[in-house]
Amino acid sequence: MTVKIYSTPSCVYCKMLKEYLKQKNIAFEDADVLHNLKARDEMVQKSHQMGVPVADINGQIFVGFNRSEIARALGI
Amino acid sequence: MYEVTIIGGGPGGVAAGIYAARKKLNAILVADSFGGQSVVSNDIQNWIGIKTISGFDLAKQLEEHLKAQTGIEIVEGDRVLKIEKQKKGFVVTTQEGKSWGTQTILLAIGSRRRELNVSGEKEFWGNGVAYCGTCDAPLFAGKRVAVVGGGNSGLETVLDLVPYAKEIFLLHRNSMLKGDPITQEKIRKEPKVALLLNTEVQMIMGKKTVTGLHYRKAGTKKEFTLDVEGVFVEIGSVPNADLVKDFVELNTWGQIVVDHKTQRSSDPGIWAAGDVTDGFYKQNNISVGDSIKAVMNIYDALRAKGQMV
Repeated sequence: MTVKIYSTPSCVYCKMLKEYLKQKNIAFEDADVLHNLKARDEMVQKSHQMGVPVADINGQIFVGFNRSEIARALGI
Repeated sequence: MYEVTIIGGGPGGVAAGIYAARKKLNAILVADSFGGQSVVSNDIQNWIGIKTISGFDLAKQLEEHLKAQTGIEIVEGDRVLKIEKQKKGFVVTTQEGKSWGTQTILLAIGSRRRELNVSGEKEFWGNGVAYCGTCDAPLFAGKRVAVVGGGNSGLETVLDLVPYAKEIFLLHRNSMLKGDPITQEKIRKEPKVALLLNTEVQMIMGKKTVTGLHYRKAGTKKEFTLDVEGVFVEIGSVPNADLVKDFVELNTWGQIVVDHKTQRSSDPGIWAAGDVTDGFYKQNNISVGDSIKAVMNIYDALRAKGQMV
């Protein structure tokens, strides 16, 4: 399973999402779209929007942090 | 059957959970997440007893304080889908399919952001239309951005944008800003910020992303165009009272009408606290007080005074 999170440093929902993944022992790649413009383009391409957080879970794209949706996608 | 079901994970819900546990009520609390609406605030300076704390840290502390209690059951990461009134008490069902009976309910379910309801708002949500300054401000670096709403959240969003945006236009319906004078002063000192008072947003325009908005000067028919690449909407909130709208009295704004001595609603088995009620002032500290009042009154109703509901 590959999990990639697109986030900004100031975003609280991003923090909540990442803490949730850590708590569930899910490894993920964290892309800071404030500083990493390539990641920002990639996020816009995948999610067709510019809000954070965006989670890419095995190619399934989630905008925002909805715990039950994310849990379902992770199979936990 | 539980004696009380507390719904909500904001300051109100958590306070109720702690008091219910200490009163040894047979209680269950449902929270989608902890912290409430101010979880996105960078810096809360009016939470009594703490000089400064971020919304994120406050959320963690609330969660820790609640989880340090024994004897209260917590359903986390789930939402209440429906409440059904029974002959005696209620049946509560969640999104994930859990269901239980309860004698009383305390609703500390707060409110959600109000939308402008103008054309372009939904269409460009996430493509220039944004609702979270602390989250999305960095993505508007070097851009011209509008913030709609002159209350505290609008003013804070302006401050979130100051380090990034090229120019910020603050649009407010009335002639005077509504947010705290301390924050107003900070904003008035910022050369990047322009105030557009007495303005009503008519529509948001764009192609793939936002390119501008139309606004009208209040009381006139004259429309103006503002070229911006982002619109942050911060125009207040609507109460989350839908769950009980069929059997609890609401006022014209959809807020739950409560007796402010006890927080009890028109239904003798339902209490409400904080932003979802018809209380005048929406504050973390007030939600806490409301909830505590409610739990004490629930305790009295169930136990001390023997008035079973």
